[in-house]
Amino acid sequence: MAELTYRDAVARGIAQEMERDERVVFLGEDIGKAGGVFKTTVGLYEKFGPRRVRDTPISEQAILGAAMGAAMTGLRPIAEIMFADFLAVCFDYVANEMSKLRYMSNGQLACPLVIRTGNGGGVRFGAQHSQAVENWTMMIPGVKVVAPSSPVDVIGLMAAAVRDPDPVIFHEHKALYAIKGEVPDGEILDKLGTAKILRPGRDCTIVALALMVPRALAAAEILRQEHGVDAEVIDVRSLVPLDTQTILASVAKTGRLFTVEENPRLCGWGAEIVSIVADEAFWDLDGPIVRITTPHIPLPAADHLEDLALPSTSRIVDKVHRVLNG
Amino acid sequence: MASAKDATAPNESLANDDIGLDRRLELFRLQVEIRDCEKRAFDLFLQNLIKGTSHLSIGQEAVAAGFGVAMRKGDKSFCTYRGHAHTLARGASMEGMLGELMLRDIGLMRGKGGSMHLTSVEHGVLGSYAIIGAHLPIACGSAWRAQYLGEKDVSVCFFGDGTTNIGAFHEALNFAAVWKLPVVFVCENNLYMEYTPISEVTAVKHPAADRAAAYGLERIVVDGNDADVVYRIALAALEMARNGGGPSLIECLTYRHSGHSRADPAKYRPPGELEEWLKRDPVVIYRERLREFGVKQETIDAVEAESKRKVEAATEACKASPQAPVELLTADVYADGGWAWRN
Amino acid sequence: MTSTIIMPQLGETVAEGKVLAWFKSIGDEIREGDNLFEVGTDKVTIEVQAVVAGRLSEIRVGVGATAKVGEVVAVIGGDMTAKAPVRTEARAARASQWRSPFEEVSTPTEKFGSSKGPNGVRITPLARRLISEHGIDVARLSADVARRGATKVDEAAVRAALAERPSEPATPSVVIAPPPKPADSPPPEGAVISLNAVRLRTGERLAENWRTIPHVFQAIEVDFTRVDRVRKSRKADFQATHGFSLTFLPFIARATCLAISAYPQINARFSGATLILSRDIHLGIAVDLNHNGLVAPVVREAGELTAIGLAKAIRRQTEKAKAGKLSADDLLGGTYTISNNGAFGTTLTTPIINAPQVGILSTDAIGLKPAVVSTPEGDFLAPRMIGIVGQSFDHRAFDGAYSAAFLSRLKLILETRNWDEEFPSDR
Repeated sequence: MAELTYRDAVARGIAQEMERDERVVFLGEDIGKAGGVFKTTVGLYEKFGPRRVRDTPISEQAILGAAMGAAMTGLRPIAEIMFADFLAVCFDYVANEMSKLRYMSNGQLACPLVIRTGNGGGVRFGAQHSQAVENWTMMIPGVKVVAPSSPVDVIGLMAAAVRDPDPVIFHEHKALYAIKGEVPDGEILDKLGTAKILRPGRDCTIVALALMVPRALAAAEILRQEHGVDAEVIDVRSLVPLDTQTILASVAKTGRLFTVEENPRLCGWGAEIVSIVADEAFWDLDGPIVRITTPHIPLPAADHLEDLALPSTSRIVDKVHRVLNG
Repeated sequence: MASAKDATAPNESLANDDIGLDRRLELFRLQVEIRDCEKRAFDLFLQNLIKGTSHLSIGQEAVAAGFGVAMRKGDKSFCTYRGHAHTLARGASMEGMLGELMLRDIGLMRGKGGSMHLTSVEHGVLGSYAIIGAHLPIACGSAWRAQYLGEKDVSVCFFGDGTTNIGAFHEALNFAAVWKLPVVFVCENNLYMEYTPISEVTAVKHPAADRAAAYGLERIVVDGNDADVVYRIALAALEMARNGGGPSLIECLTYRHSGHSRADPAKYRPPGELEEWLKRDPVVIYRERLREFGVKQETIDAVEAESKRKVEAATEACKASPQAPVELLTADVYADGGWAWRN
Repeated sequence: MTSTIIMPQLGETVAEGKVLAWFKSIGDEIREGDNLFEVGTDKVTIEVQAVVAGRLSEIRVGVGATAKVGEVVAVIGGDMTAKAPVRTEARAARASQWRSPFEEVSTPTEKFGSSKGPNGVRITPLARRLISEHGIDVARLSADVARRGATKVDEAAVRAALAERPSEPATPSVVIAPPPKPADSPPPEGAVISLNAVRLRTGERLAENWRTIPHVFQAIEVDFTRVDRVRKSRKADFQATHGFSLTFLPFIARATCLAISAYPQINARFSGATLILSRDIHLGIAVDLNHNGLVAPVVREAGELTAIGLAKAIRRQTEKAKAGKLSADDLLGGTYTISNNGAFGTTLTTPIINAPQVGILSTDAIGLKPAVVSTPEGDFLAPRMIGIVGQSFDHRAFDGAYSAAFLSRLKLILETRNWDEEFPSDR
């Protein structure tokens, strides 16, 4: 067992897979010699060399296109898109190319690659470098989407993503890079499509993702101590495939659902979960389902404003206990 | 199949023939079959047996045939939505190609992809791409894989003049040049970007060749309607790539006889332009070329007759083919063959 | 020989059914006609029998799982290699199997009722389901909740109601339990009498009706002499033919139906702010259950029946009530009610209206009384069979004049109709 930061876990996860499989290669901007702008890939260049860890020009379309061509012909590439916001620059490859390749070719072509990207806000980078965009990728049929919230999940889900035969978009959270967590020794392999109940409870279900997970957990603790509300907290982890069974079972138990989403309100990832629950679990609901989200605005750079925008622990506590006791 | 033995009169140029009659007959056969198949596609579209859209290569057969013969088995090709010729030139069957256009089960992708996405991995056709420029970086990736694994195949990427103005073109050229990738970029300059003359929207005269220098590559412009010319330049570029010499950018001048797509009657062409280019019809040129090299008329006729027979047979096979079973609607979204996004 | 058991057709609009129970296990020897499993839809629960004999080799749809009509549910006589049921829960994991892409989310097929309670109080979906599953009287629960000042019936309210319940097995929300036998000896002084479930529920409803409906009572004195004359003359024959006694009630019921056709607002029900007149008369007849509760089973389409038909129908419903065999259909849908108290000898009764009806007739003892009879020769005192017929009506539905006119008509029919015509003409 060791304590590892989230950012070091990224490097460890990639290294674990590159050691295991010669076909795993890694490309991106400043990922090699510089160890990544967020220092997430320190040591990989030294360990695996320039043949396997390649620095690219600032060419997001070429990065994703090349990853795709390599994946189609036999390699297992990991491509970095530095800031998740930049997915918009090369979104053709996510929306039109890698996601549809297998289907259009009737199964002749495959695309086993991983796009890892620095997602989310809370780091004062301003509107174009702070967005949480996992919902953009969730909506495209044909890709898989994960967003880990802890170092151990980073490693396990990275391994699962690399080994997955489909294109996986791996949303790391920039504001979580510095957090620490316990990580066991040896190989770690998790499963895509699985959510985790991090805190069991009876009064309500709170579903959260990435940065919102530690906030939901902190909120659950306050809810118990100050309001006598026993909340069950679920880390969704995987948006596609979605572990609906864990969420539905939880709602069957508690009868109440809240989501905590960093996405701006419209079409946030929680909207889909809410609609599934309102449909399949209608007769388990004892009250309205509530989404706690960032408002539908661009993000400001000013720290006090950004902190207001993203769902905070106190905003979560406030909303949950007001809705439950109303 | 015709061979060198059928030549009756030895010809002087035969002695210096770097291409050889076998390959010449192959070049001719491919161009004729592509022409006949594309013309049949034209007719089938009018009969509403081909639905949606279709981008024909009539008049551009020499580029496809030249590269098709030059490429080895194992080389990978990537083309655009105007990819019927390139797919046939790599050896895919007519019924597979026409069947896909007709959206039948016999099609190369059983109707899942359609005219713009012809794919036959077995023949090295790694997809036809409808988003302009998208496949250039993809071809780079395939080339990167070859370089990484020490494999000797070359990735060839076909696109039109309009592609040279989109971002992905420039990213891919730079990327390929910097990494010295075994990829050949082939621009079929047919003078029109959809409905607009390319000269009106491009800062330079030769949309591909005049950009080569920006990426440290040689400026290459060739007559895209002479299959021999195309074949020779293709061989050279492929060999350079195969030997680690890096990428090439080849601009082939050609012309399309029909509109951009079936929906386009191409009235934007100045009068006389089509007629001028019809004089440079690649099939006509190559038929003449074969005669120059002493190929007997019967041999030429046999190739053309066989082509027509194959087109008839393929058409009948496609008409007889049902459409794909409805289970295919949700098949192959993911590697497990299914489409499940939830449990 | 392998035979497949399929989900049977369960109703015209029903597309699938949920397996509620399996009566056989894999490996059991099945005979033709054996009950195999129970299936439920939102309308009906049925047991499915085997139509072939053989060993049950495979169960494909387990308890709690749903199958479409026509889908294979089990196999008899097939390969015995043990196969676990493919689906044992309604939400079993579905990997990449071919299933309809238009059913990516499974909308539940059960319906447990609306989100608005009988008194307008809101009910959460979970509470609704629990109410249905535990057979709780939703009207009473909604009333309790409203009385406490709360605005909704939620899970907590249902759990509280369940906790308060006497520990008897769940009874359905419709009152059809058989009445207990009358006590053999009177209870000792000061004894505490627990009210049984029937009385409790009836009582609650009566209280609600009394509280919410503005009752006005009118009575009219009716001369039953002519009715009685026919009744007496037909009595013996009736008893011999039908096996029970001919009372005044069928005549009163017949006259009521005839009077209603002239005064249709009597035969109506309230729905929000509208009065819905009913074309048919479904007559509720109040039946005392041996002093242990009151029910009002309905005689449907009473307007089509003659006095004899009414007599028979009333008899049938009364017997069913006394035997505890009334079904939900017997108790619902009444448009007007008659409360017949004649047997008790009372003069006058003011009955409580059975919402959503707008009126209820009461009849009391009919007996000889001195009355003034007017003839062309003058007015004379004579003994006549006199009884009071009253009506409690909902003053929101109509006014006293209308009600009085109805009663007058009823009186007229009873006093002047040729009642012999109701009976077979050979006598």
